[in-house]
Amino acid sequence: MPYELDFHCQMILDEYRDLLPVYEIMRDVVVDRLHCVLEENNISVTGLESRIKTEASLAGKLELKGHKYASITDLTDIVGVRVIAFYNEDVDKISAMAENLFEVDWGNSVDKRKMHDLDSFGYNSLHYICKIPKSLYFNPQKPEVNEIRFELQMRTTLQHMWASMYHDTGYKSGVEVPIEHLRTLNRLAGMLELADDEFGRIRTTINDYRRQVNALVASGNFNDVKLDGDSFKSYLNLRPFDKLNQRIAAINQAEIQPASAMPYLAIFRKMGFKTLGDIELCLKNHSEGAYQLAVHQLGLTDLDIISSTLALQNLCIVHILQNGGGTPGLKWLLDTLYSPSDSNLVMAQQIFDQASKLSFMSKTQSR
Amino acid sequence: MTIDINILDHSVLASLQGRLDTAASTQFATDMQPLLDHADKPIVLDCSALEFISSSGLRLFLTLRKASLAHGGKVTVRNLNPEIKQVFTITGFTTLFEFED
Repeated sequence: MPYELDFHCQMILDEYRDLLPVYEIMRDVVVDRLHCVLEENNISVTGLESRIKTEASLAGKLELKGHKYASITDLTDIVGVRVIAFYNEDVDKISAMAENLFEVDWGNSVDKRKMHDLDSFGYNSLHYICKIPKSLYFNPQKPEVNEIRFELQMRTTLQHMWASMYHDTGYKSGVEVPIEHLRTLNRLAGMLELADDEFGRIRTTINDYRRQVNALVASGNFNDVKLDGDSFKSYLNLRPFDKLNQRIAAINQAEIQPASAMPYLAIFRKMGFKTLGDIELCLKNHSEGAYQLAVHQLGLTDLDIISSTLALQNLCIVHILQNGGGTPGLKWLLDTLYSPSDSNLVMAQQIFDQASKLSFMSKTQSR
Repeated sequence: MTIDINILDHSVLASLQGRLDTAASTQFATDMQPLLDHADKPIVLDCSALEFISSSGLRLFLTLRKASLAHGGKVTVRNLNPEIKQVFTITGFTTLFEFED
């Protein structure tokens, strides 16, 4: 491909061609190691990108400023890897991991997140220029793998989005962009910086809340714990329904099939339960009724398998009946568990009739 | 006990007929193999002609559910008659499947 390069630049381009296999090894080693440490440290990222600068792109750069480089090794961005994280704090963690993995050339690395004046906003990203240490990869036939530098960029998703938009609309477009548009882009950078901070704060707040809920659940202060997805999950970890399930299973020496109790969260909420204490109270007050119902229903069959949600289901039935919900309340429960259907009314009536014969209903017969 | 299986483009429809009791379960386990082979598709079990189900039958339903979940799919149980719906209810199997009438 014909490029308008002088002899010096043409030499650099020839070096690049010779080194392409080395660049490929470098890219693979860096990406592979980053993948591993991200996974080991449970850090989710939105992207791990890599590229080797194309010959055309390098030639373009050499045409413009080839005189700045004595040899190809002076170019530090032939191999480029970019990690795009969710949060600023994760960018910091990833940079710490990179410092452990690679030899960082601090003189040429730059934290562009900290380069802005107090009243300016724009490109935010952390750029490290690194080498692969021999402890990470060494092949005597390819010593260049440990000598050539590569660029590692680390940024958040929002920073990446801004950089991509900026790249597309202004920088490198070849057309001078009116200053008011650039100003708008910079204002957006400020807004996204705020959004990044806010996302980080939300994550911290949610994690704090989860820790508090776990602590309250573990301490048994159920009345203080609002019923929601997180608290219900923590509560289920205490396996509060196991005892009742085992008692029910013993009726027919049945096997207990594990099943998620999470569908009952919505049911408890619709029954007006506000805290985990409400579930505890239901368990305390209605376990005997739930067991009686199971004896009456299962005892005359040879069914020897039950779901681990049977205790919950029977507790809900007893709660509905003891609170005067009657057949309509049971139909509502069945409509929620199955899909809504007229046939659920027949079953609701059957359950009501069965329950009517049981002692726990004696106080609610008149309702 | 018979099972009629239709492999469609985006789902598998199986119509069950008769009594799925302990005696019929062994044969049914063999007959339902095509469902397990296509567990990557949503499975619909039409039970409108199913007359009875035992614990062994429930376990076979669970086998299908397990295979389907392993592929990120689901098993929908359709048209349960009142007697069989009662079996699903008194065993608490109500949250293990999707149900349609």
